[in-house]
Amino acid sequence: MSKILAAIDEGGANTLLADAIASIPTLSSSGSASLGPFSAGYSVHGHFASGGVDLIAPSTVRIQHLRFVWQMTLSFGIDLNDFLPHFCLPRVCVDIPCVGRVCTPKICLSWPTIGVSVPFGDFVEASADFGIDVSLSAGQWSVQIAVQNLSQLQFGPATAGILFLIGAAITPLLLFIPFIGPFLAGAVDIILASIGIAGLTGFLGPILSPFLAGLKVPVYQQDKHFKVLPSSGPVDPDVFIELDAVSAQIQHSDEDELVLSVDISP
Amino acid sequence: MSLTGTHEVFASIDEQALNDILRAFFNARPRYRHYGSPAFVPATTVNETAIPAIAFPGVPGGIDWRIRFSTPVIDLFEQTQPLLPGLVLQPGQFSLHTDIELCVNCVSRKDTRSDVANARASRPNRPDHVTCTKLGVFGIGHLDVWNNPGGDGAVRLRLDSVELVDIKPDSLETVLECVIRMILDGILSSIVLPLKALRAGAFELIVSEGPEIEHNHIQAFGNV
Repeated sequence: MSKILAAIDEGGANTLLADAIASIPTLSSSGSASLGPFSAGYSVHGHFASGGVDLIAPSTVRIQHLRFVWQMTLSFGIDLNDFLPHFCLPRVCVDIPCVGRVCTPKICLSWPTIGVSVPFGDFVEASADFGIDVSLSAGQWSVQIAVQNLSQLQFGPATAGILFLIGAAITPLLLFIPFIGPFLAGAVDIILASIGIAGLTGFLGPILSPFLAGLKVPVYQQDKHFKVLPSSGPVDPDVFIELDAVSAQIQHSDEDELVLSVDISP
Repeated sequence: MSLTGTHEVFASIDEQALNDILRAFFNARPRYRHYGSPAFVPATTVNETAIPAIAFPGVPGGIDWRIRFSTPVIDLFEQTQPLLPGLVLQPGQFSLHTDIELCVNCVSRKDTRSDVANARASRPNRPDHVTCTKLGVFGIGHLDVWNNPGGDGAVRLRLDSVELVDIKPDSLETVLECVIRMILDGILSSIVLPLKALRAGAFELIVSEGPEIEHNHIQAFGNV
């Protein structure tokens, strides 16, 4: 069997995977979710930063402190009708001599919906165990590591201040409402305080965890019809070999190594 | 014992894979195995390389010749292929075996007066009387490698000595061995194999040790 072997130790894998993870394009998603009594639309985007790599035989790559640095914009619509009673001016009729009976229409006041967009960002990190996937698709060999197990998400320190940012964005708008503004602002602050960190991470977790849980990091990608030498003129065409089989595993000896094995033929 | 040793990255290609790459090279570019002067090869193509005839006074157009050889088979130290008695494969070396066909266009001059009338009908650019011999060639050589801090690098096979099979007298064998060594070394030195290809594109590798021949492999060590 015709073999090409390539091996990389944990130190090299740290560099290799840090570069590979950093080259993953920005990921994004959007949707809506409930934050306490509020329904909020969100759009989130972010990128990954690698952590410490631990190679575990026979086929696990563990990355500790795998970090997803994210930016999110929350869009709240606070419908004041949910908080305040409906207020209607009743119909009033007056008898006017020589004119007759004149009535005013019934007038109901609808409270406005206050829209607020709150941008903020932080990071979330976890320890992730990746499995090794080797595939041949559309004439290309691909070796990538894909998340199989993810530890509990750990949010960055800025996450704790997000409720404050939301309150700070909403309160000034509510204070503009005559008479009841301060009351409303106080009510919203109380609601936000009741949501607390647990409620916030419960809101952010389902939004952010799919990014980490679905992470795949490319380790090796080459055409099966592999170009050894490019053409250097009309009488010197490209030179190709065939990569017949590719395998990858973690080998343990006096150190742990990611070993790639490639069978070739002319 | 780990593959990487004290380095971050290790890459190796075994001798069979190296031979597969050489076979792929010569299959794609047969002209590196087939050479001929104008009577044999009027122009360079993918299949053949045109070379000048051997100039000699009194031989119009020179001596036309052709050389072809089979795809060489490389054996990286340690020895696993048979060698001629005069050759010893040392650490860091490779051996090579190929068969060479050497031909000359053996013409008789046709410029006596009686031949002149027929000269117009002659075809001076076609082989007249081709005489060939086939030789088995064994050789010993070493790697010629280079690399830079950017991770680029390449390997060439360089031939140091050859032995021919069953040539007498010895002086003729020595002359032919010298000529064939120069020819084969010239051909092999024009085949530059990138290090990236020798590791099938796997990982980044800034070489700090090697590439070197070891245990039937060409191997290199370095960092990402």
